[in-house]
Amino acid sequence: MITLSNNPTLNPVPMPQDDDEDPRNGAVEANDHAHQSPLKKPRLTRPISEPDILQEFSHHQQGFARINNGSFGSCPRSVLSAQNTWHLRFLQQPDEFFFNSLRKGILESRAAVKALINADDVDDVSLVDNATTAAAIVLQQVGRQFADGSFRKNDAVIMFHCAFPAVKKSIGAYIGPAGGSVVEVRLPFPVRSDEEIIAEFKKGLERGKINGGRVRFAMIDHITSMPSVVLPVRELIRVCREEGVDQVFVDGAHSIGSVPVDVKEIDADFYVSNLYKWFFAPPAVAFLHCKNSKGLVDLHHPVVSQEYGKGLALESSWVGNRDYTPQLVVPSILEFVNRFEGGIKGIMKRNHDGVVKMGTMLAESWGTMLGSPPEMCASMIMVGLPSRLCVTSDDDAMSLRTHLRVYHRIEVPTYYQALRNEDRDPKDKDGFITGYVRISRQIYNTDEDYHRLKNAINQILEDGKICSMLPVE
Amino acid sequence: MATHNNHLNGDAISNRHVSKKPKLAPTAAVAVITEADLQSEFSHHDPAVARINNGSFGCCPASVIASQRRWQLLNLRQPDHFYFNELKKGILHSRTIIKDLVNAEHVDEISIVDNATTAAAVVLQQTAWAFHEGRFHKGVDAVVMLHYAYGSVKKSVEAYVSRAGGDVIEVPLPFPLTSPNEIITEFRCALERAKSGGKTVRLAVIDHVTSMPSVVIPVKELVRICREESVDKVFVDAAHGIGCTSVDMQEIGADFYTSNLHKWFFCPPSIAFLYSRKNSSSCDLHHPVVSHEYGNGLAVESAWIGNRDYSAQLVVPDVLEFVNRFEGGIQGIKRRNHEKVVEMGQMLAAAWGTHLGSPPEMCASMAMVGLPACLGIKCDLDVARLRTHLRDEFGVEVPIYFRAPAAAISAGDVVTGYARISHQVYNKVEDYYKFRDAVDQLVNSGFTCAQLST
Repeated sequence: MITLSNNPTLNPVPMPQDDDEDPRNGAVEANDHAHQSPLKKPRLTRPISEPDILQEFSHHQQGFARINNGSFGSCPRSVLSAQNTWHLRFLQQPDEFFFNSLRKGILESRAAVKALINADDVDDVSLVDNATTAAAIVLQQVGRQFADGSFRKNDAVIMFHCAFPAVKKSIGAYIGPAGGSVVEVRLPFPVRSDEEIIAEFKKGLERGKINGGRVRFAMIDHITSMPSVVLPVRELIRVCREEGVDQVFVDGAHSIGSVPVDVKEIDADFYVSNLYKWFFAPPAVAFLHCKNSKGLVDLHHPVVSQEYGKGLALESSWVGNRDYTPQLVVPSILEFVNRFEGGIKGIMKRNHDGVVKMGTMLAESWGTMLGSPPEMCASMIMVGLPSRLCVTSDDDAMSLRTHLRVYHRIEVPTYYQALRNEDRDPKDKDGFITGYVRISRQIYNTDEDYHRLKNAINQILEDGKICSMLPVE
Repeated sequence: MATHNNHLNGDAISNRHVSKKPKLAPTAAVAVITEADLQSEFSHHDPAVARINNGSFGCCPASVIASQRRWQLLNLRQPDHFYFNELKKGILHSRTIIKDLVNAEHVDEISIVDNATTAAAVVLQQTAWAFHEGRFHKGVDAVVMLHYAYGSVKKSVEAYVSRAGGDVIEVPLPFPLTSPNEIITEFRCALERAKSGGKTVRLAVIDHVTSMPSVVIPVKELVRICREESVDKVFVDAAHGIGCTSVDMQEIGADFYTSNLHKWFFCPPSIAFLYSRKNSSSCDLHHPVVSHEYGNGLAVESAWIGNRDYSAQLVVPDVLEFVNRFEGGIQGIKRRNHEKVVEMGQMLAAAWGTHLGSPPEMCASMAMVGLPACLGIKCDLDVARLRTHLRDEFGVEVPIYFRAPAAAISAGDVVTGYARISHQVYNKVEDYYKFRDAVDQLVNSGFTCAQLST
């Protein structure tokens, strides 16, 4: 079993709080953490220092304001190093690795995730590449239920209009042809309260019954991607249960490491989250939690291999020969996050406070506003762009993003939302606000990153430029 | 040596030009790889193990691993830039090289996926849809596959075809074999059985090189027979194809062809290509993981199935540089692997008084060698335990196949176990001597597999 304690830079010897936790009583092995609650207060005398954090992310492009952790996540050097170690072990003697180490390693990672998300049974926790793969798995079985008549042709599925584009396409591919109709709920944005969202969702459920059928399946984002808002998933699921929706799938692509995830409390039928976005995993690994998976006989990984029929978790752990190292490093990630004050909870809180503070700073400087109240965001927040920039299309938004990357060394995703309602839509002193940036905050960010963005936008405005005039090469 | 482009500057990779035709042999400017370099390229292999199982998990030289790391770091450095500016280009470059290597007509015909298992899911999903949509009919339409089809592919046929109502016809294959004609005869019989049973064969799934027991199947002839017998489509599962046997899409003539590049073509885990001949039904192929590129063709869909590590798909140009450091390039490597594995197989068979499972012309880089009957191999569990015993006690890694004896023959002298030996560039004769000596020791000590169950 891999022992990270061989590398002194990864494991500063902690002072134990209890004798029986004293690592000096036994080797500090990666698998120890799989059986402790990862939310326990970390036992440290020396939390990770600023220079340590800089070192951990020294492979990031220097002199670049990377305020888009939300898209591709980030992975510290110590976790990359653990991944490399696994990779080399496989290359060294792959047969031995396959027969003696792989399965055990994946099970340990799954057990660590189970503890993290308060799941009842490790069998309910599968590791897959990403939320997109999880969506294909869940949607294929929904499609089959329409195809075989368990769900009827006049039944519907419901999702938010701003669901992730890849997932929307998956619904189109697997449910449309099988006969189900799709109800899209428009997310009010900018949004002021959970109640606005719940009200829209309830209206959507009513629309789903128009053909005399039922709403069979609901897909709900925990944190929407664009525009980014934290949805009141617990309340939305409660509403779904009241309406007799058969299955609820929560797409929590952004959640783990940015909001607390307690799958028992949330009580969805399927819950997916990417570990590489906010939980420091390398690309790419996600978990899919399935409530009472033993009762789900028709849930399969689309890549069928030797483990077919043994349950999704086992099927997903072998989809042919591949690089499974991202799935093996979860215990190493826990070691990493537990070097921080307050562990992952502390990280989440500081990211949230920091992104709200910086978002507010930007909105004040530009004379705009935030896309949602602070309590409806986690580690990302939408900030209105000055209307004078004239963001009039998706192309304009993309031009601005590219221009910022190439000319200002800033990475931040941009969002265009056409005018919907002249009475409601936000304005600044010069006109309607139709463009936003989605800023992220992760432990490697500094306030300086956001000041650079503030200044870059102000510079563009001073130069009298609008989006369509911005050079992108 | 492989070029040490500084990928962290993002310069060299974006400046690579897409080669029109890959160099298939070292040029005067490239020195042939030395023994010392070769040792160094595989110095990460466990030196205590006689690794004669390249067939299962393949291998990857150090210079290609280094290239993979550079790609990974390029992504991690600034992933948005990588996604927008590097990834698509890099995958297209790899696909173009593969297209030339396999003599496909158009790069659109080449998609890159994780492995042959994924490719099988892609092709079989299309068949399943045809049943669901009523284009194929339950009870009438069938899929034919070889009895020795890879386990995962058989399960995939069950999951996608049987579930959808399609019939599955297996072609029994004799083993040991003396000639390709035995396979051709059985295949013809299976197609005739289908016809006389009123079935239409919509898809034939044919291995190019079977896994266990491993033999080279006469795919060109079988594809020709399929065309004669009006089989709709032929899918060749050549998991062991590229770098192991001859892979020419025009010659073979299949509709779909897949091969892993991480087995015999020195790529890291994992990467495979799926060739799909350009015609009307090829636009019906989809990657089962649906993402932004859905509907843009399989090649484009497969190049983005959500955020993942695509680095194994990006190192193909570096692998080509590696193989071109060998005399005769990949053709030379294949030829020498074949000659050596046959030589070693015959050496072992002579030493043990057994035989090869097929004639040399039906081997590529792997050979099935009969194990002495006195080892008492009686079931699949025996071979699994014997394999573990060889690994743990003798430092030999080799997969073993159990071949049940025909009922009428008494088990005494009959060979019931075959070792599948592989030869790749890192192997040495000592590896096979070590195996020979291990088995000799077992025989001399009166060992039988029954002892392993205690």
